[in-house]
Amino acid sequence: MAAQSLWRLFLRVPSSSPSLTAVATARRKFGMSCRMSFSSENSSSGSGSREFLGLSDEQLMKQCEMSTFKSSGPGGQHRNKRESAVRLKHLPTGIIAQAVEDRSQHKNRASALARLRTLLALKVRNSIDLDTYSPPLELLQILPAKSTIRTSDCGPQIGPNNPKFALGMLALLDLIFAVEGSISDAAKLMGLSTGALSRLVLSDDSLRMAVNELRTSKGLKPLK
Amino acid sequence: MKLSIPRACGSWSKSPPVSTTLHKPISFYSSIPSSSPLKPQVPLFLRPPIHSATLSDLQKWHHWAKTLPVPHSDDPPDPTLLRRELKWLLEDALEVHSSVPQMGSHSDDRPIKLRTSLEQLYSVWRQRIEERRPFQYVVGCEHWRDLVLSVQDGVLIPRPETEVFVDLVGDVVTQNGDLTQGLWADLGTGSGAIAIGIGRILGPRGRVIATDLSPVAVSVASFNVQRYSLQDIIEIRQGSWFEPLKDVEGKLSGLVSNPPYIPSDHISGLQPEVGWHEPRLALDGGVDGIDALLHLCNGAASMLKPGGFFIFETNGEKQCKFLVDYMENESKGNFYDVKIVPDFAGIQRFVTGFHH
Repeated sequence: MAAQSLWRLFLRVPSSSPSLTAVATARRKFGMSCRMSFSSENSSSGSGSREFLGLSDEQLMKQCEMSTFKSSGPGGQHRNKRESAVRLKHLPTGIIAQAVEDRSQHKNRASALARLRTLLALKVRNSIDLDTYSPPLELLQILPAKSTIRTSDCGPQIGPNNPKFALGMLALLDLIFAVEGSISDAAKLMGLSTGALSRLVLSDDSLRMAVNELRTSKGLKPLK
Repeated sequence: MKLSIPRACGSWSKSPPVSTTLHKPISFYSSIPSSSPLKPQVPLFLRPPIHSATLSDLQKWHHWAKTLPVPHSDDPPDPTLLRRELKWLLEDALEVHSSVPQMGSHSDDRPIKLRTSLEQLYSVWRQRIEERRPFQYVVGCEHWRDLVLSVQDGVLIPRPETEVFVDLVGDVVTQNGDLTQGLWADLGTGSGAIAIGIGRILGPRGRVIATDLSPVAVSVASFNVQRYSLQDIIEIRQGSWFEPLKDVEGKLSGLVSNPPYIPSDHISGLQPEVGWHEPRLALDGGVDGIDALLHLCNGAASMLKPGGFFIFETNGEKQCKFLVDYMENESKGNFYDVKIVPDFAGIQRFVTGFHH
C-alpha cells in the first residue's frame, strides 16, 4: 500500500493506558492478541493520523473490517446475549479498537469507532520537517503561559480534561517523535525549559505512556 | 450431513407442524380470553419513578447483588457480564442514574427515586441469579441496534447476530430503489425487531407486515411499533407464517424471517437463560431444525414478486448449505443470486437471494 510509507507507527498498545482499559479487558477475556501490524518509517510528507481523524464516522468505518469475537459454540438463538462486543480493524494501519461494555452491538460499534480515533491520534504519527516547522495553534494552546513561542492570542492554557487537549497532544507527539524522543530538543522548539515540558508530558497518562514507550524504544530513560 | 426433508411440505400451508405441535399455552396468559387484547408489560426504564429508597439501602442491595452466590451449573453466567448487567439494571431502575455516583461509599440517607421498589430489586436479581431468568426479561427490554425494544416472557429476545438483517436490507434497497416502495414481510416477528429496523430504512413510502402466531409477541411487537411511531408503516398480523398474508400473495418486495431453527433434541441442553425461559415456539425447528426454514423457502416462491428479495437466519453452516442446495435443485428456477452471508463472528448465518 503506497500510503503506508507516509506513516510512522508506534507498535505496541500500552496495556495500562486508561483509555485502553476496555480493550485490555477484552483481550484478557477473549484471550485475543491485539498486535498491530506496522508499516515502514518514512517521513516524506505531512500526512498521517490527521488525515484519518478528518474523516466522517462513515468514511472511517469503510476503512475498517468489523467482527465480533469468535467465541465457541453456535451463537444465534442458542445463546442469551452472546457478546455484542465489536472489534474494528483499521485496514490502512492495522490498528484494532474494541468495545464490549455497551448494551447493543450498534452502540459498541460507535464506542469502538471513538476509541479508534483516540488510538489513531496516539499511534499514527504525522511526519514533521524540522527545518520549516511551525507549531500549530492547538499545540500552542496546551503549552504553559511561560513558553516563549506562545502568543497572547492563544488564550489560557488548555489542560488534559479539555476535549481540545487531544489535538494539541497529537501535535506534541508528532514533534517529540521528530526529535526521536529528546525532551530537551523538543523543549527548545517549544520555548520551554526541559523541566516544564517534562511536567506537561507527565500531566496526562496517555501522553506520558506514548512518550515513554518511544523513549524506551530509543534506549532513553522513561520520564517519571 | 444428512438432513431429512419432511415430505409433507405441501400440506404445511394449512397447518405447519412446528406451530401446532409446539404452541403450548403459556400459563400467565392462557387464562385470558383470546378475544381480549393482551396488555403488554411496560419495560422498567419507561415506568414512572414513584418509588424511593435511601442511598445507603440501595448500596446495601448493590453489595448483596454483587455477592449473591451463583448456583453450580455446567454453563454458569459470565461474572463480567453479570456485573455489567447489574450496572444496566441500575441505569433502568433509577430516575437519575448519576444520582448514585459512588456505590459502596459510606452511609447516606439521601432518598433516591426508583422506577420499582427496593423489594422488587431484591426479588428480580434473585430470579436472575437463582432461576437464570434472562436479564432482558428482568428489565423488560433489550438494546438492539439503536433501538430499545420491549420484551417479556413469551417473546424471543432479539440477538445481536440478527442486527445484520437491517444492514443487508439497507444495502439491497440502496442498489435497488424500487424495493423501498414495495411491501415487505417479517414472519415470526417476535418483538418486532427486524420489522422496525427495516421499517425505519424504508421510510414513509415503505410498508411492512409483521406476523407472529403468538398473541404475546403480537402485543409486544405492536407496543414497540407504536413506541417508534411506525404504525403507519408496519402492520402486525397474528397467524402462522404465510397464513395472514393471503391477500398479498405474489406482491412482496421483500421477505425476511428469523424462524425457529434449533434441532428439537438440542433444546434441553440450551443455556438455562434460553432453554428454561424463552418460548420454545420461537426456538424449536423440528428434528433437524429446518422445518420452518423449508416452509419459508417453499412459500417464498409464491409470495415474492419477480425481483423480490429474501433473507433467512439459520443455525449455521449446515443449514445454510442445505438451503442453498435445496433452492438450486429442488426449487430450481425460482431463485437467483442465492448467497450465504456470515454473521460478525464468522459463522455462516444468513441465506439471501432474489425471486425470478
